[in-house]
Amino acid sequence: MPPARLPWLLALTLLLAACQQSEPEPLKVYRHAIDGIPASLDPAHADDVYAATLVTNLYDTLYRYKYLARPYELTPSLADGFPEVSEDGLTYRIRLRDDARFADDEAFPGGVGRPVRATDVVYSLKRHFLPDTRSRGDWLWRDRIVGLDEGTRLSDPDAPVEGLQVEDPLTVKIRLRRPYPQFTHTLAMALSAIVAREAVEHYGRSFGVNPVGSGPFVLARFDESRAVLEPNEHFRRGVIDLDAEGYDPARHDRFGLARIDGLTFPLLDRLEVHFIPEPTTRWTSFTASSGVDVVMVPPELSERVLAERDPIRLRPEIASRYRSWHGPEAGFVFHGFNMDNPEIGHHPDPGRAARNRALRCALRDAFDWQARNRAFYHGLGQIFPGAIPPILPAYDPDADADSISHSPRRARARLAEAGWQTDNLPRLVYGLESSVHQRQMFEQFRAWAQAIGFPASRLEARAYASFGEYARALGTRQVDLFLLGWTLAYPDAQYSLQLFYGPNAAPGANSFNYANPTFDQLFEQASSLPAGPRRTRLYRQLNRIVIEDCVIIGSLARTRLFLWKPHVLMLPDRDMVGGHFLRFVDIADQGG
Amino acid sequence: MKAPATTHKLTAGGLRAPLAVIAVYLVAAAGVWLGWWGTDWSGIQASGRQPPSPEHWLGTNLLGQDIFSRLLAGTATAFEVGLLVSVPATLLGALVGAFAGYFPQRWPDAVLMWLTGTLDAIPFYLFVIALSYAMRDHPAAMQLAMIMTFWTLTARIVRAETLRIRQLGFVAAARVSGLGSWQIIRRHVVPHTVHILLVQAAILFVAAIKAEVLLSFLGLGLQDGVSWGIMLAEASQEILAGHYGNFVAASAALLLLVLAINRMTDELQRSADPRSRGSADPAARHEATRA
Amino acid sequence: MTTPGSRRTLVARRLLGALPLLLGVTLVSFTLTVHFGPDQAWELLGRNPTPEQVEQVQRQLGQDRPFLMRYGEFLQRLTRLELGHSQASGESVTGLLARTVPVSLLALAPGFVLGIALALALALAAAWRPGGRIDRLCRGLSSLGMSLSVVITVIALQAIFGVWLDWFPVRGWAVDNAASYLAHVAVPTMAMVAANLGYNLRFFRAVLVATINEPPARTALAYGLPKSRILTRYVLRAALLPILTRVVFSVPLILISGSLVIESHLGIPGAGRITFDAVTSGDQPVLMAVVSLSAVLFVVALTAADLLARLVDPRIRAA
Repeated sequence: MPPARLPWLLALTLLLAACQQSEPEPLKVYRHAIDGIPASLDPAHADDVYAATLVTNLYDTLYRYKYLARPYELTPSLADGFPEVSEDGLTYRIRLRDDARFADDEAFPGGVGRPVRATDVVYSLKRHFLPDTRSRGDWLWRDRIVGLDEGTRLSDPDAPVEGLQVEDPLTVKIRLRRPYPQFTHTLAMALSAIVAREAVEHYGRSFGVNPVGSGPFVLARFDESRAVLEPNEHFRRGVIDLDAEGYDPARHDRFGLARIDGLTFPLLDRLEVHFIPEPTTRWTSFTASSGVDVVMVPPELSERVLAERDPIRLRPEIASRYRSWHGPEAGFVFHGFNMDNPEIGHHPDPGRAARNRALRCALRDAFDWQARNRAFYHGLGQIFPGAIPPILPAYDPDADADSISHSPRRARARLAEAGWQTDNLPRLVYGLESSVHQRQMFEQFRAWAQAIGFPASRLEARAYASFGEYARALGTRQVDLFLLGWTLAYPDAQYSLQLFYGPNAAPGANSFNYANPTFDQLFEQASSLPAGPRRTRLYRQLNRIVIEDCVIIGSLARTRLFLWKPHVLMLPDRDMVGGHFLRFVDIADQGG
Repeated sequence: MKAPATTHKLTAGGLRAPLAVIAVYLVAAAGVWLGWWGTDWSGIQASGRQPPSPEHWLGTNLLGQDIFSRLLAGTATAFEVGLLVSVPATLLGALVGAFAGYFPQRWPDAVLMWLTGTLDAIPFYLFVIALSYAMRDHPAAMQLAMIMTFWTLTARIVRAETLRIRQLGFVAAARVSGLGSWQIIRRHVVPHTVHILLVQAAILFVAAIKAEVLLSFLGLGLQDGVSWGIMLAEASQEILAGHYGNFVAASAALLLLVLAINRMTDELQRSADPRSRGSADPAARHEATRA
Repeated sequence: MTTPGSRRTLVARRLLGALPLLLGVTLVSFTLTVHFGPDQAWELLGRNPTPEQVEQVQRQLGQDRPFLMRYGEFLQRLTRLELGHSQASGESVTGLLARTVPVSLLALAPGFVLGIALALALALAAAWRPGGRIDRLCRGLSSLGMSLSVVITVIALQAIFGVWLDWFPVRGWAVDNAASYLAHVAVPTMAMVAANLGYNLRFFRAVLVATINEPPARTALAYGLPKSRILTRYVLRAALLPILTRVVFSVPLILISGSLVIESHLGIPGAGRITFDAVTSGDQPVLMAVVSLSAVLFVVALTAADLLARLVDPRIRAA
């Protein structure tokens, strides 16, 4: 035997010996899986679903969405009751629970977590306006809260902000510049989670990997493959009241949830969140003996899981082995045009502008959403016109479906009518994130464009290796055609229609760089209205404007199909409720 | 004198099989270039995920594209990448190496040694990735990145060989007869390194193809088009779901071609220098150049 | 004979001579990442940034200052061993490396060692009778190994052992105890062996055959010494230097760059993985730390190889 192998064998033997001494597994372990890796656990950076999943469990927000009620309903979490809102909608008075405490951490004197106070709420919001925070969420409150106007940079966390006042140790008074009916919703987002100033200052730059919050769990381990969470001893939110969470025996009985009524949060001894970006690997990890407990079924596997699509029925061998749930995502995917490029978008010459519109509409007609749905979304996605998905109250079921119907003939007619020929068509840059699926989507799009006479040589794919690079390309308006997904942070069409709002143009969220004064004016009008038929009418009108202008190709709301092992008692929902559902997860007595 | 004696073994049996395999690949690639086949690799011809059939010999992929057409087009891409990288990289390495070796201990040599040392000390794939990133707006960013990293090994070997050659009698004779350095390098040094350059070009050809597969797999490869690397990246998403078409096609094609070229390189090397023990991949160049 | 003193001066000279190399490596990579690398500001911005915010983050990342100044500051910090913080997570780079390098080592070293051991054993058997059956098998094995792309190997191994046989975890690094370690290390080990066996086998065989053909071995053979003794006593010893050199030079590679493909496809949170993420997202502090560290290790490896050469072969003297 070669000598090099000996030490290794020795090490193996030692390890095996060590194995026998390992401690017993805790009782209730749940292995969750998400499809991305959070970069930072700082709430001020948690604007994606992956970071939010962890942040809402390590920290707590003032409000959250009810576990089971649909449509989504807010409920207090750190707050004690809903805010008292003044008649004019400008003053919010929010009281905190008196039993909320931060988890124990070396950042606090003596290492013992202290109670959460109104000053923490004020600090947590102010913090978004300190340049060192590099907040990703300040735009939610900028220009809304008095004293945090456009361009405001706080240099010091002690600097007073007129609209953020501590009334007493447990009460915050917030003054808004103009009505912001979505304000309470923003306080349910992970971005608004309450942090402790001691911890932020103690950890400095590394605060993002040293979370200290008042959520149901504390972080035990965190790397690029998984996070391990353990219960926070100080977490007191009373007992679970299933009825208040929207429990409906008819809909929820099959999930085995009834038994968690009256128990205290959180129910798990250990929560593992595995980060598995590759779709099929997620599936195999789920079906393998030692893998994760839940899977969001990837499209590649739909044949193996589904017996029927409409209505959804699982294959018997799947249905007998796992629990399942499906529901629409709170968001949608779409293609958009860069209206800032005069070759295809806005143009000072009305004649050319009309021809550009014809070209955009033709490309939209060429788009085959049914085929896209079949190839990439199990064939289960909901296709709808414009930017108001069916999950929102403002969705219009009777809207004209022309903009989402595949019609190469109409596309050719449009091109011919507007005088577009092979030799005068513009050269377009199609931007994509460099992933297998996005590349395939591009090839699909190119084939459709070719089918209406748009030559492949005029469609240049530009792949960006990371989302940041893609964002840069969009933010600097280098891409004429793009594919994006937009996740709603709250269930209100204002959140999706802001994608077309002129002042949000790139680098802002309006990647279309759509500039239409009529739209902007109506949008501003709708934004300060409370929910009601008038606002719904305005939202629908705004949606029709962007459809009419052929700014967007879309859209499609994906259907999330979850399977999980039967010993896990839960209703997984990564949208809206997001990470908040994990505090309700329980494990049946005789493990799987 | 070794160089002229190398040719007699080249036609021996060892070379016949690999050359035949390479010829088949070349025909496949040439057909794509001439537009005879493999041109409709991007067209959506059928419904997705069909098993092999008379129309689609290797079945169709997720979108309904013909995997066999993509395989053929990928073969052409492999040759394009391989040639576009190996020829310039070899020439660059030969020039720099000959120049440095002809003037040992002077500044060109010092700069070369510093540069190759520097490039050696940066992890290979990181460097290629960073380079192709740096030039990401260029359509041939990946190829340029490979050229800029691959030339150093050739330069080192040619430098060593030049050091040896310049001690030989005929170079001294040429110097005495009044030829300039540049002419000596061109007429006497470079021709005597041809056998090395052939082997190096073949090695780099393989390295380029393999690096393309790896970069495309990581999402940093070709901007547009189809390649075996792109097919393997697709395969990595679907193989666990039981779709083997892309994987089997691309990996078999890659394996066979690389095997054939490696075989050919071995034979070339053996006939040139029976004791040579080169390594066939710049990724392993630390070992190859230092040992 | 080498005295400890001469060895020390050699090390000192080596390290001093490495300074231009270190400068070169950092300069090249700094230029690449600063001038051409991805602009990380966009990775750090929210969903609805204003142009001022873009500018502000770019300023915070130091993008508004002249290149030479930034490079100078970087070198200063490097000499003080201040590696800074990852821009993405805020984690200190030292902490990041302390967390990921051991994972890379744990995941890849077994395969690395096993690959060398296996290759050495096979090469010995092959060199025993060049042209024999084992030798032909080894030739086939090594050309197959060199032709396989690591991409193919990793995909295939994962499918076979993770899914089809369901013996080992498909991916990840949920290592809590020895049992879970053994389960997680299996597939990376096989991948490492498959990736390196071909090259190693070919190299070792060539070295061993060459040594056997050298006069001392031939003489010993002519005197009728048993072949096994010649192989283990003389040949292995003579071939030790090139073999050890090869091993020494591979160490920085697995230590720092890990194996990109193995780690990223199998979801192992090692050094290769974070480096790859840093390249694509433009996380400059992480990237520069990794590159500098690997350059230093490279220099250390060079020095170690020289020292080894002296230890093994006393004929080599300081020139």
